[in-house]
Amino acid sequence: MIKSSYTTYATPRFRILSDDQIHEIHLASLEVLERTGVEVLDDEAVELLRSAGARVSNDGKRVRIPSYLVEAALRTAPKRVTLCSRNGERTVPLEDKKVFFGTGSDTPFILDSFTGERRRSKLQDMINAAIIADYLANIDFHMGLGLPEDVPAETVDRHQFRAMLLNTKKPLVFTAHDEVGLSDIIEMAAVAMGSREQLRQKPLICLYAEPTTPLCHSQTAVRKLLLAAKEMIPVVYTPAPMSGATAPATMAGTLTVSNAESLSGLVIGQLAQKGAPAIIGGSISIMDMRRGINCHGAPEQHLLSAALASIAHYYGIPMFGAAGRTDSKVVDEQAAIESALSCLTTAFAGANLVHDVGYVGSGLTCSYDMLVMSDEIIAMVKRIMEGIEVTPDTLALDVIDKVGPGGNFLLQQHTRNYFKKEHWIPELIDRNTYDKWVQLGSKTLGQRVNEKVKRILSEYLPEPLAKEQVSEIDAVIARRERSKAD
Amino acid sequence: MDLNELGESLIQGEVDKVAELTKAALDKGVEVQRILNEGLLAGMDVVGQRFKADELFIPEVLLSAQAMAAGMDVLEPALVGAGLKLVGKIALGTVKGDIHDLGKNMVAMMLKGAGFKVIDLGVDIPPEKFVEVVEKEEVQLVGMSALLTTTAPAMKTTIQALEEAGLRARVKVIVGGAIVTQAFADKIGADAYGEDAIAAVDKARTLLSTV
Ligand code: B12
Repeated sequence: MIKSSYTTYATPRFRILSDDQIHEIHLASLEVLERTGVEVLDDEAVELLRSAGARVSNDGKRVRIPSYLVEAALRTAPKRVTLCSRNGERTVPLEDKKVFFGTGSDTPFILDSFTGERRRSKLQDMINAAIIADYLANIDFHMGLGLPEDVPAETVDRHQFRAMLLNTKKPLVFTAHDEVGLSDIIEMAAVAMGSREQLRQKPLICLYAEPTTPLCHSQTAVRKLLLAAKEMIPVVYTPAPMSGATAPATMAGTLTVSNAESLSGLVIGQLAQKGAPAIIGGSISIMDMRRGINCHGAPEQHLLSAALASIAHYYGIPMFGAAGRTDSKVVDEQAAIESALSCLTTAFAGANLVHDVGYVGSGLTCSYDMLVMSDEIIAMVKRIMEGIEVTPDTLALDVIDKVGPGGNFLLQQHTRNYFKKEHWIPELIDRNTYDKWVQLGSKTLGQRVNEKVKRILSEYLPEPLAKEQVSEIDAVIARRERSKAD
Repeated sequence: MDLNELGESLIQGEVDKVAELTKAALDKGVEVQRILNEGLLAGMDVVGQRFKADELFIPEVLLSAQAMAAGMDVLEPALVGAGLKLVGKIALGTVKGDIHDLGKNMVAMMLKGAGFKVIDLGVDIPPEKFVEVVEKEEVQLVGMSALLTTTAPAMKTTIQALEEAGLRARVKVIVGGAIVTQAFADKIGADAYGEDAIAAVDKARTLLSTV
């Protein structure tokens, strides 16, 4: 038999924007950079831009970037960035439409899984978050989930990083106060990987820094961007625009502003170091026009994220998205809806580095329960993304014929061969009969999730770092704290 | 003269028209106090009520606030001339180390809309700067915004700096920002905390009545 022009979909397909629309947004972003320009508050970056051909205003701040500089940056930026686990496995290849989920950073508050109260985040909370992230099968990278109040404020970023580094071997996306914080963190990561060279070979860490929407590059953010580029540390340099407030109320306008910010950051990074690993995209959403909050679970957020992913695919540059988060203050029905819709949409869209799983309360609070519940949601999403395999064997004509009208398939070898592969088996989702559910304590999903959180924290021990490495890492922090005290 | 049109125009957020109508009323010799109370403030009260009832949205309220401020600009010389006190003056800024400004800007717009004179210091403002403004300008209120765990302590340092400069008794301090809570505000010795821009106005008014 010969088949002609036969197409197979290995996964479901999904598009928000057509090629023409993406191209239009690309052109609009270039126009913004050429016409309006961006504010760049760092002399070194302004100089890099000026000597490459950008026009700089008399006060040395407003930089108008000609399109060819953007095109050049898009050519030199790598099309793929691979993040590695602490033991060197290349677990997170950010390329094409491969999707990886991870936690979010820096939440000031935590919704305590043991007491149910919202309180300020402490260092131990960050240690626990890393342990849970390490345990969960569908969490691919970790971002910290806390900004503790019980460590010295000047070095809190190092303490945050230490809590992450020691308690999970998954790739780490981190925030740093400033250049100095960043260089300490690079040093700590190099200790864990063996050397600076090893860290380059096996990129365990990725910096998260942000331009200020609309169209500003603060000095601290740019200093970090430049240092990361020179050190070839992968960097997510993406904005957090709020449609209607810091960006236009229209979706297309918001995409254009964000994209212009990402692209101008890309230009700065590539001018500092050609080929520096970069990730574009953003934590993009709307401002709620009744309460003024940055919406973390709005449908527009999913729509915008998906569109940004398509734009990044058009450039062939890895993309930073967001999902598994909610505006709800607790882990309730709203949280479940918002997490599910966002995880599914971003997966459909093929966003690469999808962060913020485990956020509640519009990004101000972290919740282990939200993280664990979303892990199960991601498992369901993964099943949907596997799509449907259509082969002679899966079409199952022989077994259909064998069973015939009125029979059942339970005793067939074909069933035995396939059901585990084709059917997703839940862990927390309830499919008990009513009586069995009552026997098991009539528990809600929330209760089962909470039990799992507690079980992980009481039973699971992540792989430790060697003692000598831990002391070296501590020495980096101690040295900095002494020098700050002087 | 019918001041309803002025109020209505303010509710609609017609910035230029509010300025024009205010001027027209003044030219016609309508009492300043009446223009303020029966025109501008009456309109703004309706806006406030409708916003609290979820009938109006932030962009609409902010436009009305801007219209209010435009009216106040026209009215100010006459108010001062008539020996009437302005609502109040506030120095507002995002604290040292912090560059989040959207929330602070919204608070500034709403305060202006409520008739306050707002000195917007900007972002990343060190304690010395707050002290300097309190010394130089006759402000009754100091407003601080912080969105980071790491910069919230700067609110306390600023209050201490005001104390050390002997200025604390002269001003009331109001704080806000996503990581600030009432408990935190109490702990650092602030006089008030506002959870959003509307609360900021309510609290600022209450504080002012105690200055
Ligand atoms: C947008 C944003 C940014 C933008 C800011 C752009 C800008 N022009 O402001 C950018 C990208 C620059 C940014 C940078 C950073 N950010 Co930021 N950011 C946010 C985000 C997503 C929204 C903030 C916002 O504008 N909200 C909307 C406004 C309207 O709300 P609001 O500010 O709370 O203001 C309202 C009230 O609080 C109140 N209010 C505010 N001020 C005042 C003052 C007074 C006197 C009163 C009465 C009331 C009042 O009224 C306002 C109106 O209703 C928040 C997350 C969040 N959900 O809040 C994180 C967040 C605040 N950022 C965070 C972090 C960590 C950072 C960075 C440190 C990240 C980094 N390492 O690079 C940097 C810090 C830069 C710096 N030095 O300041 C963390 C803070 C964590 C913590 N524990 O402290 C948050 C919570 C996100 C997170 N979960 O990680 N950020």
